[in-house]
This record gives sequence, C-alpha cells and structure tokens, in this order.
Amino acid sequence: MKGILWVARVQLVTALRERETLFWFVIFPVFILALLASVVGSIGKEGEMNFDLTLVNLAKPSSASVDFAAIVERAFEETGKPPAPGKQPLFTLHRPAPGEDSQAFLVREEKALRIGRRAVVVVLPEGFNEGILGRAGGAAAGPSGSTGGRVLVYYTKGSDASEIAASIVEQVLAGVDQRILAESGRFQTAASVPTETRWVGVGATEIAYVDFLLPGVILMGFFLSGLFGVPGSVLFARDRKILQRYWVTPLEVRQYLAGFSLGHLGLCVCQFFLLLVIGRYAFGAKVLFAELVPVLFLVLSAVTFLAFGFFIAAVVRTANAGMALANLLNMPMLFLSGLFFPVRGLPLVLKAIVYANPMSYLVEGLRTSLGVGAREFPLEVTFGVPLLWIAVCTVVASRRLQWDVGR
Amino acid sequence: MQDASSILMRVTGLEKHYGAVRAVDGISFSVPRASVFTILGPNGAGKTTTLEILEGIREPDRGEIEVFGAKLRRVTRAVKERMGVLLQDANFEPYLRVKEVIALFASFFRRAVSVDEILTRVALQDKAKAMVRTLSGGQRQRLAVAVALINDPELVFLDEPTTGLDPQARRNMWSIVAGLKERGKTIILTTHYMEEAEALSDHICIMDLGKIIAEGSPRQLAAGLGRETIVEFVADHLDPGDVDNLKTFGQGARTDGEVVTLQTNDLVGTMEGLLAWSRERGIPLANMAVRQPNLEDVFLALTGRRLRE
Repeated sequence: MKGILWVARVQLVTALRERETLFWFVIFPVFILALLASVVGSIGKEGEMNFDLTLVNLAKPSSASVDFAAIVERAFEETGKPPAPGKQPLFTLHRPAPGEDSQAFLVREEKALRIGRRAVVVVLPEGFNEGILGRAGGAAAGPSGSTGGRVLVYYTKGSDASEIAASIVEQVLAGVDQRILAESGRFQTAASVPTETRWVGVGATEIAYVDFLLPGVILMGFFLSGLFGVPGSVLFARDRKILQRYWVTPLEVRQYLAGFSLGHLGLCVCQFFLLLVIGRYAFGAKVLFAELVPVLFLVLSAVTFLAFGFFIAAVVRTANAGMALANLLNMPMLFLSGLFFPVRGLPLVLKAIVYANPMSYLVEGLRTSLGVGAREFPLEVTFGVPLLWIAVCTVVASRRLQWDVGR
Repeated sequence: MQDASSILMRVTGLEKHYGAVRAVDGISFSVPRASVFTILGPNGAGKTTTLEILEGIREPDRGEIEVFGAKLRRVTRAVKERMGVLLQDANFEPYLRVKEVIALFASFFRRAVSVDEILTRVALQDKAKAMVRTLSGGQRQRLAVAVALINDPELVFLDEPTTGLDPQARRNMWSIVAGLKERGKTIILTTHYMEEAEALSDHICIMDLGKIIAEGSPRQLAAGLGRETIVEFVADHLDPGDVDNLKTFGQGARTDGEVVTLQTNDLVGTMEGLLAWSRERGIPLANMAVRQPNLEDVFLALTGRRLRE
C-alpha cells in the first residue's frame, strides 16, 4: 500500500512540476475558459449581449384596420433599445435605408449572415398581414407552402451566437402574439394572466455561457491529461527504462497501475478545483457540482480518459508514436462532442463520429446533470457508452501494453 | 569444490532465445557467498540478458535458478526483497528530488535503510533536495547505487556499473563495490572492462556468444594460459617475413597494427633474440613493455578476438 501511495505521489508531483505538463493540463484549460468566457460569454447577459439582427419587412400594409407587420417591427425596435442609459442594447437592429429596395437589402444581409457578420435575419414575408388576419379569424393560413402569417428567421446552424440569437427572436415573437391579439381587439389585456419574458441570462433562471462552458472545459482538462499525459508518462518511463527499475523491486505491475491511476485521478482533482475556483471567482460561474450524479460523471470522465491513455500506450511502440496518435484523436474527440459548439446540424459521417465519441456522452451527461444542457441521450446511455469504452480500452491495454522495452 | 552452504546462487542450463539468436545458450555457474562474481565479455556476449533473467526482468526459456536455498523457474517477490539491482541506465523521473527517489524505492520494500543513511553512504547528502535532472552522470550513478542498496540487500547485481563514467567516478564506484564486499554482500557484476574485472573480482566467468568460455579467479584464468610473461612493443614497417622471424622468439606472436605481442616462458632468451633481431634489421623496439598476462590475453587466446572488438 505504501508503494502504491508513493507511485501516486510521484505521478502527481512530477506532473505538477513539469512546466509543459502544467501548461497543457492546467494552464491551457484555464486559458480556454478565460478566452471563451470573455469572448462568447457576454452572450446571455442582460445589457451585455450585442448581436446583429436584421429585420426586413416585405409585407404590404393590409387593407384591414391593423398592420400586423408594423406591430412586429415595433416589438423588435423596443426590444433592441438599451435596457438602461449607458448599457448596451440586446441587439443592433439593421433595417433597409429609406427608399432602399428591400429584396436587394435582404440578399445582402443573407450574405452577411453566412459570413458571420449577422447573427440572425428576420423576414416578414409578403402576405404576412393577410395570413395573420386569416389565422386570427380561424381561417387557414393559406395554401400549402405559403409563408403567409409566418415570420421567417434565418440563422447559422452550429454557431452558438446565431443559435442563441434565434432563440431570443423566438421569445420576442412569443410576446408579439399577445400584442397582435390585443391590438386587433381580440384579446382583453386586463383579463389576461400577467406574464414576464425572461431572456436567457436574466435573473434567477440565468444559464450564463460560462456555466455552460465550465463543465466542458473541466472535461477538456481531464481529456488532455488522459490522452496525452498517460501514454506520455508510461511510454517515457518504459523507454528510458525507469519502469524496468521498478520491476527489479517487489513492486508489481498491478500495484504500479493502481498508484499511477490514483496519481492521475489526483491530477484531475487538482484540475477540477482550479478550474472551478477560476470559473466561479474570475468569470462568475454559478454552476455547482454538489450532487452525486455530476460527481459520478466527473469520475467516469477521468477514468474514461485514463483508460484511453492506456489504450494509446498499448497500441504504439514508442512515446513519440503515442503522442502522434493522441494528436490524431485529439481534434475529432474534442470538437465532435458538443464540448464547444452544438453538433446537431453535422453531416451524417461526422455525426457517426459524434455518436462513437465517449466525450459526447460525458459532456451531455455532465451538463444535463448540472442543469446547463439539453438531453439528447437517455441517462443510461450517457453512462453506458463511456463504460463500454473503458472496458474495451482495458481489455486492449491488458493484452497489448508492454511494460518493458522489447528486444 | 565449494560446499553447498557457501553457494548463494546456482544457475543450471540457463537458455534465452530471441528468435534465431541464442542470447544465452545453456550456461551454468555458481556464485559463492560474500564474493564478487563477475561476468566478463564483449558487447553482445549475453551478459545483460543473463543478469536480467537473474534479476527477474526476463523469463528464461530453459534452465533453473537456485537462490537463497530455493529452486525457482523465475525470480519471486520474496527473492526481490533480498536483492538490489543497479541497472545499466541510471535514468529516473527527472522532476523528482533525490530524497524522493530514494523514499519511493524504499516504499517498495518491507525493510529499508533510512533515506539519510543511504544518502551518506553514497555521498549524496548535499544533493538530497536537488532535482534528478540537475545531477551529473556520476551523481546519477551514485543515486542508482543508493536505490539498489536501499533494502540492505544480501545479493547485489551491478550491470556495467562504470560504463560512461569518468576515471574519478569509476574509482568511486570501485570503492563502493569493495565496501559492499567488506560488509559481506554477494555481488554479481557484469563488465566489459578487463581491468575492472581484475581489480574487483573473486571469481570471473567469461562469456562469448551466449556461452561461458572460461571461469575461475583472475589468477587462475591468467595461469591457465600456461605462459608467464607477455612482451609487447611497437615496430614500424614489418613485412610477413619479420612476423615469422618474431615467432621464433616466443609463442603466440601476434601483430595488431604496429603493436607486436609475444608470450614466453623464457624471458631472457626472448629478449636476447629480439635485441639481436632489432640490431640486424635496424627496426627499433619502441615502447617495449614486459608484463604478466591479463584477462584480455585470456580472451584473445580463447576467441582470437579482443574484448573491445
């Protein structure tokens, strides 16, 4: 037992003393957290959000008494005002200049959306007023495929900013429904149940981006130390015959493994607390890891990536080859997991990688257990797939990992 | 013939193959207690493989090891508790401190010497808090010795302990080995330095191509040549006729570049003949030396090659 604890201590101490290890496993995740929380993190905070929204009204004024399109326009104008003097508006509204051709403006703005200069483009199509009127009167909205009475919202799939902007537009439009009913005389405001619209990021129900980001960055830290740290340490020690020195003592491979794993998990605990403290005190994260399920997901994540590290160490011959393989797996596993951006709109081939990637399940499991993410997979699947990977990696490692330099 | 109680380790019919290569080819030997037993041979002779089997790093294909009175197929944990190993490479985790390395290895044994005591014994007490990566080659080797002796072992394996060390560090290592022997430890040493083997060994086992080709004390091995004196000198521009002439002055005349080596039991007769030949041919006998046969001569006589070839 003493030997196991010493191996664990050595594993932890050397990782924390080595500058390169310290940078990649601790400083780098903190840097990513700081970067994304500062750049993207402002989205979702009242008065700090400032995305670019284009509104194009192609509807002709209705012959009816109410111009519904104008109601929608006013709703966006009001929402786009600064919440208080000196504060940023929720979004910057872009509209055609007086006398400018709306269709030509729309074409230009769609291009701007594609290159990321607009977060969302809202179009009130021709026939909008008639459509609304028909709906309010209980009539069909129009012929099949007609856009009458519908607001068209264009956004960029896969872009966090654009997806969040689109969801905010939906909230604006939900408020517009009530206005239309009220201004058309079909809704008694005094008799209605009062409601209050809350933007993402407001008040007690706030899910700030940093709360969404922090669990992902913690997993990224675990991932990097598992994928690079484990094979790096094991293969370096083996190739330099440091392990051979252990094998001429009474220390057995299973004891070394236990100590190594314990030390690795100790490093993950250090990473976790460091990122949690920085996330909370430097970036205002409120997410708590105080319940059993998130803690189980953290442990499962650390063990999964530890097993992956041993898998890599088992299938390569040298430390250099181990680092090359880890690099090869790094990008797809990290970026095709939903860690940094949504993966819903990906092509089928990439989607297959997402489904095979244990990180996808761990990210979702951790975030949903913390209440900062949407559930796509059942809880059993988010636990089961990583457990399956642990089993596969353990079998491969136990059969193929060479603990001594071959001759 | 030594009695059984004086033998600490007995190896019988040890074999290890790597594919078609017979690294160790059916060797047998006995290691007396409280002695320095040296396995001498050129690179690739099978010394390290033999040692790695005895240390428990590798399993033999065939053969038996009897150590501490127990017959084993491979070295057990109980045996490892009583042995210490100095490997060829003195590599450690570079970001550990010296005393941490020693404490780490101490934790693997049931019984261990204190960290301070072992540091003093290898003269590394001033470096206790230094990181391994800041140590010199000699200091690392002393750290490796400290690790090998942390459990106060009865049996110590030293695999090429002075390879790559400067002369001062080599002398230090020799004195450590001598100190271990004085304290009654049994030492199994491999080396390809004949002077090291001669200086340290009680018993030498010469290996070549996986086999033991000779064994005995340094004196017994040299005496086994049956010639008492070696004459060496440097001579330029010898032709084949000269070499044939030189053979009449001693046995086993041999040239190695410009160095001529003669073995003789009649030193006076050989010297008279050589001087006469030198005057007659006008070839000076530069750097002439007369010495006793050494292990290099034994190896040369047995294999026709030098140890370092």
